[in-house]
Amino acid sequence: MHIYAFGSICRGDVDKNSDIDLIALVEGFDDRFDPSTFSIYSYKRIKEIWEAGNPFAWHLATESRLVFSSDQSDFLVDLGVPNEYRNMRSDCEKFARIFHDAARAIESGTESMVFELSTVFLAIRNFATCFSLGTPTQSDFSRFSAKRLKEAPVPISSSSFSILERARILSTRGKGDAILPSETHSVKSELDSVNQWMNELLNRIR
Amino acid sequence: MDSQREVLGIVNRSSDWSEELCGLSESSISRWLQVNSLPNSSRVAVLLRQISEKLFFLATKSQEQVTEEYKALSKDLQLLANDLQTELG
Repeated sequence: MHIYAFGSICRGDVDKNSDIDLIALVEGFDDRFDPSTFSIYSYKRIKEIWEAGNPFAWHLATESRLVFSSDQSDFLVDLGVPNEYRNMRSDCEKFARIFHDAARAIESGTESMVFELSTVFLAIRNFATCFSLGTPTQSDFSRFSAKRLKEAPVPISSSSFSILERARILSTRGKGDAILPSETHSVKSELDSVNQWMNELLNRIR
Repeated sequence: MDSQREVLGIVNRSSDWSEELCGLSESSISRWLQVNSLPNSSRVAVLLRQISEKLFFLATKSQEQVTEEYKALSKDLQLLANDLQTELG
């Protein structure tokens, strides 16, 4: 068994909204770990994502620290560098679709507004992270990856971005102030710009 | 994502809650129950926690047994969502 910390705590990129990301690597199946606290991966699955050059493999290879090893080895370091990331286009298209579904729900006045705003945040962040991975020196796994994208930061105001981030924290951690209708309205008015941004970046990689 | 959207829709469409259910993490469910004065022992609370547990397990999709259990869990999830719909309907 191996336990790693990864993400913001390993980048030193912490603030009051940061959580602690933990991953447990286990042999086959291990029900001692709470899946709401740990990402739980079998060794076999980790090897597969390394082989596939999956973004999560690159995330772990770039930003993880060993917390516990049952055999003194550092399993992820021993795996070496993941294979080249080749699915930027299909991954970005997938997150664009997720964005479109959530944006459509928001436009139609969904009853699950916070969840859909949270999904918009997830889609924007993951889209930008996958895009950044296309240029390994610029890879950015942080929740600010879209704002920091050197070639084309997401054209959304800081206040709307912050509302989306709050929605994400409400949806995943149940913490924070409720989102006001006026805040939803403010985000809604900027979704078209985000859509155009995604389309422009998709056109570059097609 | 679609399963979570479906379950949240069932809950959020069913009544004019003080605050919507924002997600299916344990902390989001606990907050929603508290804000809407629903006891942990209520049928809705029990069903939501059962759904949450199965969704988290499916979302991990990384432990080998999941492949074998995926269909059974997906079916369980649909049955629980139906129960939730009945309970809130």
